[in-house]
Amino acid sequence: MGMSAMTGAALPEAAPRGERIALMPAADHPSTPDEPILLAEGLVKRFAGRRAVDGVGLRVRAGQVLGLLGANGAGKTTTLRLCYGFLRPDAGTVRVAGIDRRADPEAAARRVGVCTQDDTFDTDFTVRGNLEQVGRYFRPRPPALKARVAALLERFGLDRHADAKPDTLSGGYRRRLMLARALVHEPRLLFLDEPTTGLDPQARLEVWELVDALRRDGLGIVLTTHYMDEAERLSDELVVLREGRTVATGPPRAVLGDLVGEHVLVLDARDPAAPAVREWARQTGLPEPARVLADLHLALDGPGLARFGARFGDLRFEVRSPTLDDLFLKLAEKS
Amino acid sequence: MTPHYRAAFRWQSRAVLGRHLTVYRRNWHTAALPPLLEPIILLLAFGVGLGGFIPEFAWRGRPVSYLAYLAPGMLAYTAFMTAFFQALFAAYIRMHYQKTWEGQLVTQVRLEHVVWGEVLWAATLGTIYALIVTVVLAGFTLAGWLHLHWAGAPLILPLLFLAALAFATLGLLFTALVPGIDHMSIPFFLVIMPLGFASSTYFPMEGDSPWTRAWLALNPLHHLAEGVRFLLLAGEMSHHLAAACGLFLLMILALVPLDERLLRRRVLGEG
Repeated sequence: MGMSAMTGAALPEAAPRGERIALMPAADHPSTPDEPILLAEGLVKRFAGRRAVDGVGLRVRAGQVLGLLGANGAGKTTTLRLCYGFLRPDAGTVRVAGIDRRADPEAAARRVGVCTQDDTFDTDFTVRGNLEQVGRYFRPRPPALKARVAALLERFGLDRHADAKPDTLSGGYRRRLMLARALVHEPRLLFLDEPTTGLDPQARLEVWELVDALRRDGLGIVLTTHYMDEAERLSDELVVLREGRTVATGPPRAVLGDLVGEHVLVLDARDPAAPAVREWARQTGLPEPARVLADLHLALDGPGLARFGARFGDLRFEVRSPTLDDLFLKLAEKS
Repeated sequence: MTPHYRAAFRWQSRAVLGRHLTVYRRNWHTAALPPLLEPIILLLAFGVGLGGFIPEFAWRGRPVSYLAYLAPGMLAYTAFMTAFFQALFAAYIRMHYQKTWEGQLVTQVRLEHVVWGEVLWAATLGTIYALIVTVVLAGFTLAGWLHLHWAGAPLILPLLFLAALAFATLGLLFTALVPGIDHMSIPFFLVIMPLGFASSTYFPMEGDSPWTRAWLALNPLHHLAEGVRFLLLAGEMSHHLAAACGLFLLMILALVPLDERLLRRRVLGEG
């Protein structure tokens, strides 16, 4: 799997739209299906001499969700901020819908919507006022702004709270407002920085459904998350960062297979045979089994699993597919 | 014109200014009450009350009452104080606690526009408050308590706007520098109080020592207060107006790029 810029997976099949409002005008779609909405290459960002982002590249097409994964401090948010223009890269280029961000930052920003990790809505305005006000930060102004705001309020289930101050909303509705704010000006590319952090399971599910609907509407989406199920469920492609560098790219299953292994074998760490398993792994050139709470985790490919079964057939163990949790543990172990 | 100053005229800066105006307009009836009451109370307490115990004194060879001396000083002080405080305290709240800036910076608005939007808003508010003081002074004039030359009044508000712009850039400098809201009292007591009072606003600043002369020569608020005083008490243009304008322009030219650089470091972690 490549270490540099990734290529996109096939677009998911467009879902029927029904009566829902379109979030992106058809005329604003890319001219060719292969034209990336986001093309970032060789991004470098230093803070106080330390490379927070070191040569990262991203490629996103319309209707594709790219998940950006990594432990805390891996460079996810900085990469995102470089792409949406909050920060200026020390090296590298960012093109949004074919527009070089450095050459024409305003035109690039006009095509980008951002949902930040923290709630950055304007607490001096109501929910409706927030959407109207954010529309005033774009030129050309979103056409028929009031009608668009009304449609977004309805689509995101915010119409009942339209005249409330946003700080009176629950966490789930605040996130909805942040998402709606990011869409007022009809962007083609959406950045979501940990969009469900701190939400309860129901609210998370609602945000997932909204993100899924936006993907079906044809938006390119870049998302960072700590939640493994979220990344697996929403992302068509993953980029895994560690210490500011890309360590893997590709579809979630392929990334897991490459970095973690085909299977994860789980056995009780207190089992008397555990030392023998460790020794067997060492002798067969496998990585040291990871201790996770009371368990030992051992990543294996198909033949490896067969050899393990032949050697430790009497042992009680469980075999499961790798998850992104395993990937995170693996990355933490490496760093 | 470099990008630092060109940004003042960009639509994004006006959009940020428009955001602040929208919020102010919604609360104008409560927001306008303090700047209306404050000059009335101060003029009555100090001008009429305390001034009753102070005999007429000579200012630039002219006999003036303390109330008459105080009135132009209050205009200058209001523009200075309002703009500085707005750019320091209110901007800090928006930057740090409300995260209004971050919400703006993910749009087509960039940091230089946020800086100018804050500076323009602080200057606008300083001018609005000074206008309210002017209305109060006009009321005192109609009541016969003050005798002012109103012919020069049209000059005063643009001058106060320029002054407020300059003091707003100074306020933003401290917004960029103070470690936290608990440290706001440092610029207040080290800058606002000494500068506000030792500038011929509430009492005459005179002296023959080289230190006093240097302080007065380089102090833009002193020139502003004296310039406005010449206009309102004598109906005369004075060199103080030119000195004030020159110093304010210098402040703006020097502080805007510095504010932007320091805020870029603080808000974006860059620089």
